Amino acid sequence: MVNGFAYDRSGDLVISAWAALSPFGVGADAFADGLRFGSVALTEIEDEQVPADVRTAGVIPDFSPRTSLGRRGTRSMDRVTAIAVKTVGMVVEQCGPGLMAAPDRVGLTLGTGSGSVQSVIDFSRDSLTGDRPYDVDPARFPNTVMNKAAAESAIWHHVRGPNTTIAGENATGLLSLSYAARLFRSGRCDRVLVGSVEEYTPQRAWLSWHAGFRAPLGEGAAVFVLEHRDDAADSGRTAQATLVCTRFHAFHEPAGCGPAVTQCVQNALRQAEARPEDVAIVAPSGNDDELAALQDILHDPQWLHCRPLLGDTSAASASFQLAAALVAGRTAAKGTLALITSVDPSGTAGCALLRL
Amino acid sequence: MNAPRRVVISGLGVLSSIGLGADAYATGLRTGRNGAKPITSFDTTGFGHGTGTEITDFTAAEWLRRADPATLGRAAQLSAAAARLAVEDAGLPDSALRRRTLVSVGTTDGESQDLDTLAAQQVRRGPEHMDRRLAGRVSAGRLAAGIVHELGLADTEAMTIGTACAAGNYAIGSGVDAIRAGDVDLALCGGVDAMCRKTFTGFYRLGAVAPDTCRPFDRDREGILPGEGAAILVLESLSAARARNARVYAEVLGYGLNCDALSPVAPDKATLAECMRLAQTDAGVRPEDVDFVSAHGTGTRANDLTEANAIREVFDRPPPVVSIKSMLGHTMGAASALSVAAGALAITKGFIPPTINHRHTDPECDVDCVPNVARTASVDVVQNNALAFGGNNCVVILGRCE
Repeated sequence: MVNGFAYDRSGDLVISAWAALSPFGVGADAFADGLRFGSVALTEIEDEQVPADVRTAGVIPDFSPRTSLGRRGTRSMDRVTAIAVKTVGMVVEQCGPGLMAAPDRVGLTLGTGSGSVQSVIDFSRDSLTGDRPYDVDPARFPNTVMNKAAAESAIWHHVRGPNTTIAGENATGLLSLSYAARLFRSGRCDRVLVGSVEEYTPQRAWLSWHAGFRAPLGEGAAVFVLEHRDDAADSGRTAQATLVCTRFHAFHEPAGCGPAVTQCVQNALRQAEARPEDVAIVAPSGNDDELAALQDILHDPQWLHCRPLLGDTSAASASFQLAAALVAGRTAAKGTLALITSVDPSGTAGCALLRL
Repeated sequence: MNAPRRVVISGLGVLSSIGLGADAYATGLRTGRNGAKPITSFDTTGFGHGTGTEITDFTAAEWLRRADPATLGRAAQLSAAAARLAVEDAGLPDSALRRRTLVSVGTTDGESQDLDTLAAQQVRRGPEHMDRRLAGRVSAGRLAAGIVHELGLADTEAMTIGTACAAGNYAIGSGVDAIRAGDVDLALCGGVDAMCRKTFTGFYRLGAVAPDTCRPFDRDREGILPGEGAAILVLESLSAARARNARVYAEVLGYGLNCDALSPVAPDKATLAECMRLAQTDAGVRPEDVDFVSAHGTGTRANDLTEANAIREVFDRPPPVVSIKSMLGHTMGAASALSVAAGALAITKGFIPPTINHRHTDPECDVDCVPNVARTASVDVVQNNALAFGGNNCVVILGRCE
């Protein structure tokens, strides 16, 4: 074996299982139902600590670290970590013990916005308001570091392969998918649990408000099993879609957004040797320029709009869009393509193409 | 199938407390410069001590050509400026930057100084009174996006990797995989972190911050010195570098990464040893090929003992094991990227950087840490260890490019 490349791993990378913890509720079924019925999962936030003029958000119903994971090990756990631990746990449980038979060979790639800004600010606040600047809870210090959610998920579920935290604003879920696919293709693990997570907290609400956003925020996570088609079949899991490719394109002023989406989707289609009319399903992030660009390229696909239902789930958004595409893909023609696109106003457009 | 493509380092962009730019950095490493000084970026009143390794002579506007410094926090400024330096150091033509690229930047704390400031503003005046400009640029993804804007990249995949104190190695690893796979010919990878009150406070509370001096592998060690820095490397396929007659510092022979899944903070010897073996296998080198190990070497007892013992598990006769954190402090997400840059310079210039501030090697570590004075040596293979909170390990191996 030279340089870890035991065999060609470029094709047949499939998504064989997934779980979601979303404003629709716990699990993939709740997510699928919410999406199918077009339920708007935004609720009134009764918390004086969030901005008064944005009091609706898509939050996971009745979720807290303790109610979701129990008393043990959750005393110092923050919300983003608990959402991640719970969602990764749902996938692991769903797949059964075989999934983790060789824990060193299972990777975990988790996307996040900036970890938990709530944890960071709370920790700093304790330091600034205590009698002494070091009157802080040392058990909460790791919560202020961005890889806490991925690392804690690994600890809870004994995932000992490559453990990576990715941040990239709205495109985080797509960047995580891209990174995870490369880990697999490079032979660094046999399967990857990949997804992204976001929390709704007063601090995130305020930062977003000060940054000028007034649309409702959302939270949650979706985590997918990415593995070789043969391994999925051997384990009794059905390939729900094949990951064909991911592509990204930058833009440097607002007017560049639409062209960047166009370029990125055209590059992906070219790489997939596919035509626009092969795209049966598209799940965009919901930016106006993005939608206009996609309308110009695509030929009457099924459109899936997550943001109006879930709120702006930021780092988790593209993973929810991917989950939505998998749900819609259950009834799509075999061999057609699903396209996930994401735009971040800071200058990134990204997409993933999956074959159903 | 084709053999995987070889990956080389053809440009270094370094901003550190011991030197700005690759040449100054190399001189700093070679002469054992100490970056420690009193912290000025935040008020250390109330702490028993306040020494760190800040960069005191960096003004973003002097380094950035395209990006507007006001739209970037300090970490993104350092990251974008380091990328600019790297591209200039590599002599990359604009045409190379128009091709498909990967940008991957490791960090522990993201835009941490802005978060420090926003926390202080809230404590003073309430959450409705925060600085809009800071709130709009605080997302960790901006560390990679800042590079994209500075260099005017278009067909690019830009990610920030938040795997804490091993993040620089992770980012370089992601570039290696993208180039080997043939996805890109060019990747800008490394790590960055700005000096941050929050992280100083956390490590101080853990009793892990040294009063004034970082002494890795010393029996009188007192802990880490929190610091800041950035290193962005130009990674290219060997064929692309050769095609443009680029100067090549070193080849990235391979890397390995794993996770102990045991503790949020404590490192694990066996998993770290396994990570070194993964890296050596990926690189196609044997332990006896390694000329020196650039250790994670934070200068805490937990790190130094675990790491030294893991090294002894992998190496029958360990080569020199040095910690450049003795000079640079702990630059968090930048640390392992700065260390890869140091390894590349060591290979090119023929020296092993020293572990400074060294008096008595801890008998429990028992490593040749190249105390205090750099060693002139022909260096062919360097192993660069990195550990992070959460049991995240990543080891990168560099070699002389023949």
